Amino acid sequence: MPRAPVIRARRRTVVLAAAVSAGVLLIVVLVVGWGGSGKSDVTQVDGSTSAVLYTAGHRPMAPDFSGTTLTGSKLSFSSYRGKVVVLNFWGSWCVPCRAEASTLAAAAALYRSSGVVFLGVDVRDTTASAVAFTRSFGITYPSVTDPSSTITLDFTSVVPIAGTPTTLVIDRTGRIAGAVFGATTYPELTTILAKVTGKAADEAVGR
Amino acid sequence: MTDVRVPETDPFESAAPERGGRGPASPATGSFGTGDWLKWAWRQLTSMRIALVLLFLLALGSVPGSILPQEGTDAAGVQQYFTSHPSLAPLLSHLGLFDVFGAPWFASIYLLLFVSLVGCVVPRTFRLAGSTRTLPPQAPRNLARLPASAEYGTALSPAQAAEVAARVLSGHGFRLRRPAPTLPAGSAAPTGPAGSAAPTGPAGSGYWVSAEKGYLREVGNLLFHLALLGVLVAIALGGLFGYKADRLLVQGTSFADTPTDLDEFYPGRLVTAADLPPFSITLNTFDASYITSGAQRGQPNSFDAQISYTASPGGPVRTDRLEVNRPLSVDGAKVYLIGHGYAPEFKVTDARGQVVFDGAQPFISGTTGNFLSQGVLKVTGAEPEQLGFSGVFVPTAVDVNGTLESVFPAADNPVVSLIAYAGNLGMNSGPAQSVYQMDTAGMKQLTAAPQLLQIGQSLKLPDGQGTITFTGYQQWVSLAVTHDPGQLPALICGMAALGGLLLSFVVRRRRVFVRASTGPQGTTVHVGGLARTDASGAFEDEFASLAAELRSAHQQAAQDPSAQDPPAQAQAAQDQAAQDETAQDCTAQDQAARDETAYDQTGQNQAAQDRPAQDQTGQNQTAQSPGQAAPVRHEGE
Repeated sequence: MPRAPVIRARRRTVVLAAAVSAGVLLIVVLVVGWGGSGKSDVTQVDGSTSAVLYTAGHRPMAPDFSGTTLTGSKLSFSSYRGKVVVLNFWGSWCVPCRAEASTLAAAAALYRSSGVVFLGVDVRDTTASAVAFTRSFGITYPSVTDPSSTITLDFTSVVPIAGTPTTLVIDRTGRIAGAVFGATTYPELTTILAKVTGKAADEAVGR
Repeated sequence: MTDVRVPETDPFESAAPERGGRGPASPATGSFGTGDWLKWAWRQLTSMRIALVLLFLLALGSVPGSILPQEGTDAAGVQQYFTSHPSLAPLLSHLGLFDVFGAPWFASIYLLLFVSLVGCVVPRTFRLAGSTRTLPPQAPRNLARLPASAEYGTALSPAQAAEVAARVLSGHGFRLRRPAPTLPAGSAAPTGPAGSAAPTGPAGSGYWVSAEKGYLREVGNLLFHLALLGVLVAIALGGLFGYKADRLLVQGTSFADTPTDLDEFYPGRLVTAADLPPFSITLNTFDASYITSGAQRGQPNSFDAQISYTASPGGPVRTDRLEVNRPLSVDGAKVYLIGHGYAPEFKVTDARGQVVFDGAQPFISGTTGNFLSQGVLKVTGAEPEQLGFSGVFVPTAVDVNGTLESVFPAADNPVVSLIAYAGNLGMNSGPAQSVYQMDTAGMKQLTAAPQLLQIGQSLKLPDGQGTITFTGYQQWVSLAVTHDPGQLPALICGMAALGGLLLSFVVRRRRVFVRASTGPQGTTVHVGGLARTDASGAFEDEFASLAAELRSAHQQAAQDPSAQDPPAQAQAAQDQAAQDETAQDCTAQDQAARDETAYDQTGQNQAAQDRPAQDQTGQNQTAQSPGQAAPVRHEGE
């Protein structure tokens, strides 16, 4: 029968085509699934959907930056090495930034004694509006202006900063230990700081 | 795509149910197991018909995506639709019609089409590979039955005639097939034209040459299908890894390509903030020039945005200019100039004499009105009460019967008209606000009528609430940033698909056979030929010129004794059974597929064409009908 080998050949190609299609589907599913799955190097802060802690050994190095503060003096991030730094990206135009401003101002005052430094990065803003903002909310810690978002850009390469405000907590070795994406609440900030400073919130603020 | 044709038209379709074989073709016949159902489903899915249906559905499915507002691009529009169609909107939302391109049903159409194409192209690749390896079929017995044929006598022996024909056909780029050397040709070469050692036996014997040309047609066909797959992959690439963004940029300011610094950001499914190319752009100057006279007065002449940019932080600063349809390409992204407008500059002091605003505030304009632009200024830092201004910027202001109109788009006589408010802007909590709108619910209006200001003029707010000064204006541009990694592959694949389609339409598979036999008047050369899909009739001309060339070559060779060496029969015959291209054909050319059936039958015994299709197998020599007996005997004489 001369037909037999033809049938076999055809069945082979059909099976092959099915296998290739299945393979392609599998790859698509894997790629999409893998892209959607969370990262293992962060853990959510309890009771929060927007605050994360980086697990030890997976803390990304914070990029260095320097700039001019709202009051016109120079600021270099590297001069704060050895201290725990809370770095807040904000703008006077941003509604959630106004919502979190009092919390940050209060926390900055409370943690000053335990050596935690608060810094701000003012993005997409005009100096007059930003100064008025700090005056309104009683913020005394310095903020550097980032008119062309270069500081934000540098940090985005290590932390997925997707919006303003974003608050980062940087440990004594200059690595990013925790982050709050969106308006920071006091419990989120104290949980992260407790982990980074190794002191419970009450102890750290000297109560 | 398997072409699910009526089996009768395709004797090579191994799965035709008429043969009583195991191959499933339709669930209507006989007992049908799960495996048969699966095979049937696969066959349907990979069929041309279903692929076309899927393609149509894909097109149909994207229609609501362009009619209805979509979540990804117009979330506000979706909200509006929900308020204006409260009963219909939830239903549409449930069907995923507000996010068509992310809807599961859209993805399933897309994936099914993809599988259908893969299921068609992969077997076809193997068949093409096979078809390029196989030799043309043996020459049919009766060449006069072919669509094109010729016949003439020659003084050469049949062996020599076949040799000369092979040389001519080979010179025209044909792939040749000759009788196997074991057949009575080589050693028993006839000594002259009247030699009696003429071959007898089946079609595979005798002196003949089979020649085939036009394999590029299959290559083109395959290229088309592969390129179609490539287009789908490229679109998927763009959807997964591409992004779109908008940014309004005031003259003298900068922005960086990072989500926090973009006004609107539509990332692909697998795009994260860190994936964006880290460029930054500064708008140095923007010039728009307008026609100043005639009927076209006020129409734009040219737009020219002078920018400086860096591809990455700390990188070298380059300068460039953006014009309409002249985007900037930086690190895989394209930056388009899509609009422009005015941003009046204000300086505001509050009741305590503190400067609480000093800068430009972009105003936006409609498509008409010579850039009469509207906007708001929200002074959140003013104390003790926040201040708000709703304003109109008029580039070239003229008082027309008491109302202010802009008579030219350039800022020849800029005026702002302001209404001042004081109170709570509602920005200390709640959702994000548009910078072009102000919620005046918590504010009281300070000035009854709009106050007009020219550059340098100030408005003192009542009750010592502060002062606002119109200090000047800047122009702004709106930029669209797009990054579509699938764009170039899609273009290349699209061009390849077009090229493949052209090839498969232009190139024809055609076969030419030459058979030399010894008759009463010496050697007779029969030439026959046929082409697959010869709608234009071009093959007739090609065949005629080939036949003429063969004839003159034979005449020339007969006069030239050096050419009369005994031929070497080098070409080995190969199994004909592998020649089954018509089966499972997934081209769009149904007519062509039917023609192919006849075309491929030339490899068979011609007599078999008169018999029922299912009897045709390989080289069925016993299938000759009585009508064909005479030429066989003639050849045997």
